[in-house]
Amino acid sequence: MLKRSLYLLGALAVLAGVYGFYSRLFIGERDVNYGSYVTWGLWVAMYLFFAGVATGAYMLATLDYLFDVPLFKGTGKYALWGALVTMPAALITIGFDLGHMERIWKVYLQPNFLSLLAQMVWGYTLFLAATLVSLWLAVRGRRDWAMKAAMSVGLFLAVFLSGGVGALLGINANRAYWHVGLLPAQFPVFSLASGTALMLILIGWIGRADDPRRPQQLAVLAIMSVVLALVKVYFLWADFSQSLYSGLPDNVRAVNLVLFGPYGWAFWGLQIVLGTAVPIVVLLQPKLARDGFWAGLMGVLILIGFGVARANIVFPALAIPELEGLVTAFSGPHLNIEYAPSLMEWSVVAGVVGLATLAYLLGTDRLPFFAVKTEVTK
Amino acid sequence: MPPTPPKAPIDRRGFLKATGAAAAFLAALAADPEKTLQAIPTAEPLQAGEVPGDGPNADVLIRMQGDVRRALKKAPADRRWVMVIDLRKCVGCHACTIACVAENKLPPGVVYRPVLEEELGTYPTVTRRFMPRPCMQCDNPPCTPVCPVNATYKNEEGVTVVDYDQCIGCRACLTACPYGARTSDFGYTYTEGTPVADGLIVGQAAADDYERAANYEYGRAWDRHEHGSPIGNARKCHFCLHRVKNGMLPECVTTCIGRATLFGDANDPEGVVAQFIHQPNVIRLKEELGTEPRVYYIV
Repeated sequence: MLKRSLYLLGALAVLAGVYGFYSRLFIGERDVNYGSYVTWGLWVAMYLFFAGVATGAYMLATLDYLFDVPLFKGTGKYALWGALVTMPAALITIGFDLGHMERIWKVYLQPNFLSLLAQMVWGYTLFLAATLVSLWLAVRGRRDWAMKAAMSVGLFLAVFLSGGVGALLGINANRAYWHVGLLPAQFPVFSLASGTALMLILIGWIGRADDPRRPQQLAVLAIMSVVLALVKVYFLWADFSQSLYSGLPDNVRAVNLVLFGPYGWAFWGLQIVLGTAVPIVVLLQPKLARDGFWAGLMGVLILIGFGVARANIVFPALAIPELEGLVTAFSGPHLNIEYAPSLMEWSVVAGVVGLATLAYLLGTDRLPFFAVKTEVTK
Repeated sequence: MPPTPPKAPIDRRGFLKATGAAAAFLAALAADPEKTLQAIPTAEPLQAGEVPGDGPNADVLIRMQGDVRRALKKAPADRRWVMVIDLRKCVGCHACTIACVAENKLPPGVVYRPVLEEELGTYPTVTRRFMPRPCMQCDNPPCTPVCPVNATYKNEEGVTVVDYDQCIGCRACLTACPYGARTSDFGYTYTEGTPVADGLIVGQAAADDYERAANYEYGRAWDRHEHGSPIGNARKCHFCLHRVKNGMLPECVTTCIGRATLFGDANDPEGVVAQFIHQPNVIRLKEELGTEPRVYYIV
């Protein structure tokens, strides 16, 4: 029943995405609300989000295939498939954000390796290759040195790319809100937390209900989620309190925008209450934490919180004009400092989420790899 | 019937008026009409290929054109193009902004040189400050190293340029610029959505064709049809390199009604700009970032 609902939701999301995909591919970027001042919008935030989920899922797969943790035996394939599905989702959203996406080949053939963006494109390509190799080895049942080597490379890339996402923002010294040394260091933790939340969903909702190890797996993932949520809150506190205490105007304005701006409700309501506090409370209840439905639901809430958190990292820093009077000096389309994603942007995100959901479900249902393993588990 | 008031005798004012009018009438009759029209002297028209007179007393625009032509004789790496903006002279007319839009055929949403306005103080001690903001052409530009495909770089003259054919439109350079000096071209035209009616001198279709006709930034034609570059690209001020290499000043400099914007080679000690950039009342924006802008403001 739950799976059917997920199929239905995935299909509806894909339908909702048709408009956005059509508009972006055949008309262009005319219907987006980001622009020349708020240069990166919802799609970049979702790219950070999906990339975090993908690299985090890969980190979780190492519990099975690299570190041989007995409790998580059999979960690695779900995590790897999750990484393989969500990384393309990240690349679609960031690809759509390019003014000339047809020129992406130039990053491969004419790259500027001093650019973090170029490094990330190459890194994601290697990561996808590592994920494919790991999955291929897993399909063949290999747990030898080849698998360990592939997973080691993949784990290194997952950590490096997670940090790189933070650095992509942090290197902009002109954006006080981003330019803190801690930012790249935070992102691998965010990725791990996102991956853990994904695994709560995958094991809680899609994994086999009759697997005797499932309650214990969920219990451990729940504890991980709680700890990581607390670390996340600590990072937030460190960032915001430092910014407000130092009083650097641009930084204070950005933090105030997050806390008390027009989308303050998203921070307090979705990111803090729904995405952090509620999961902590629920997952600390052993009975609920071991229950597949509740664990999965908390995984969804945590991911929603992370989605909002990514937006709250990207938008506010860009909503502070570089120079006083710049915004009012010249008016025109996409010369706005106030940003709210357009319907077309939301449509694309809905479509990407739908595609990723359907791809994951179809993979676990149709790929013989999952069926064979299921029987073995049985 | 009331008695009629006695007629007043002519007074002194009336006498002067009448005499003045008579004198003017007689002078007009005596004057040569052709000479009256030529009362304001004009310069002799230039012959083809002739350059207006140079020299210390010449108009600053003429002097700067001479500076540019002198600089062009040097090797590109020996030139150091800089812009000096005298904020004391800027009246906030925005002519430079519009001239730049016209010169580079900038579409809606793309601007290279906005004029920032700031109100300082409170009534009655209040004033307005106008600050044109072209690209700073930084010596250490934060926008170039972030480009994943080397589409934006400092050319051999030290001007930061964009290769529209190479740019993938990621807007990393827009994000990195501390001056907000880059804008993205989303492919608009000013005429879209305007009424279409027969009988207009220039109908929407013709105007739209004009807007989509190629511009000549960087010395080559950029055709906007079919979503071609520079649509989808990052765009920025380039000191009108296409004009400069032909011995002309950037359009914003030529257009400034107050001669508030100066341009030239800072390495030329005889040049106009060299006289200003070392003055104590000169500032550069956000110096603390170490970007070393090539735009100097006189305050």
